[in-house]
Amino acid sequence: MDENTQSDANNDELILQQQRQIEKEISETTPLVSDKQTISTLNSEYNDDAVYCSKVKNLAEKYISLRKTRPDGNCFFRAFAYGYLEYLVKNKDDYEKFRDLVQKAKDKLVKQGFPELTLEDFHDTFMDVIDRVAPSENNEENLQELHKLFNEQGYSDYIVVFLRLMTSGQLQEEADFFFNFIEGDCTIQEFCHQEVEPMYKESDHIHIIAICKALNANVRVEYMDRADGDKVMAHDFPEVNKPNVFLLYRPGHYDILYPK
Amino acid sequence: MAGSALRRLMAEYKQLTLNPPEGIVAGPISEDNFFEWEALIAGPDGTCFEGGVFPAKLIFPPDYPLSPPKMKFTCEMFHPNIFSDGRVCISILHAPGDDPMNYELSSERWSPVQSVEKILLSVVSMLAEPNDESGANVDAAIMWREQREEFNKIAKRIVRKTLGLPS
Repeated sequence: MDENTQSDANNDELILQQQRQIEKEISETTPLVSDKQTISTLNSEYNDDAVYCSKVKNLAEKYISLRKTRPDGNCFFRAFAYGYLEYLVKNKDDYEKFRDLVQKAKDKLVKQGFPELTLEDFHDTFMDVIDRVAPSENNEENLQELHKLFNEQGYSDYIVVFLRLMTSGQLQEEADFFFNFIEGDCTIQEFCHQEVEPMYKESDHIHIIAICKALNANVRVEYMDRADGDKVMAHDFPEVNKPNVFLLYRPGHYDILYPK
Repeated sequence: MAGSALRRLMAEYKQLTLNPPEGIVAGPISEDNFFEWEALIAGPDGTCFEGGVFPAKLIFPPDYPLSPPKMKFTCEMFHPNIFSDGRVCISILHAPGDDPMNYELSSERWSPVQSVEKILLSVVSMLAEPNDESGANVDAAIMWREQREEFNKIAKRIVRKTLGLPS
């Protein structure tokens, strides 16, 4: 009996090791956020797939370029943060409001029950990043700094953690509303502990709605999948506002888009 | 990366030293390496582990706190949620999705806002109330369920052993 458990445990260890190895290979070949690429580079991923190729063509009519993000389960948060900060660096008034909101977010999260000791580092790093790219005369330099920080694992992952915590805070603040959108019989708090706060957990509509609300962001997601038709489908979060972040969704993954 | 892990571990160590939870002492084995800790855990009162002092090691990954540490008792242990080699198997030491024991949905999981203190408190609760559904040590789980007296006897012997008393 004991021997069986032992070998099961060893199998689990092996599977985990293999998973780590795959993750390592991905991380060595894909940057966290890539340089800008033309939309047509997507064609090379789909060879002669007619459905995808016509959708890439349609996408290229609306967008000039994209940045790819590493597929590690954090891609939505990383792509969103990059896209939104790029917008904010170029829009000083919105940047000031955003900075003020994030500054106050720590106390708000502590009041909601997040432990200050473990929250602090993530908040400090996020504030540090915001300050290092503050709008100035030379925005080109700020945008380069942004790109550099997002490709340094330490900064980049702490940004993701902080956004996950803000998403969790927003979901819990409006638990009565968001409860309607989760499946299975768990509470919003359980959902946050399982699907929002831990790293590498993929994001769904509910995450997008919550983080947009928490940070006053407006996101347009272009959906590109094998569904019928030759056009990508756009969806705005929230629906009424003009989007300031543009993302491409392909099943299981988000990248950043740049409109014409 | 390792820089922020180190900063966080130092902050947690300071906090644990200033406000130690009852029955728990923990800290780095050597000041030169903050990624390996030793913990001493007192068996909770009113349980079969009462009176024992159980030493354990915690090993932190370079990307802590994004990933959880591993924990292993370094003394003899007999418990449904501890492997025979001492490895502790509770939900808070695993991120969701990393699910060797099919933990319940509501069970506490690792996330970057958890802490060493939360882990050690969970281990104290685990000593007091074993989870015999997720057996890391199946023999211990069966004995806990069906022969509690026998289980208590083994626990008493291990308690005496941790104190260096003859069994």
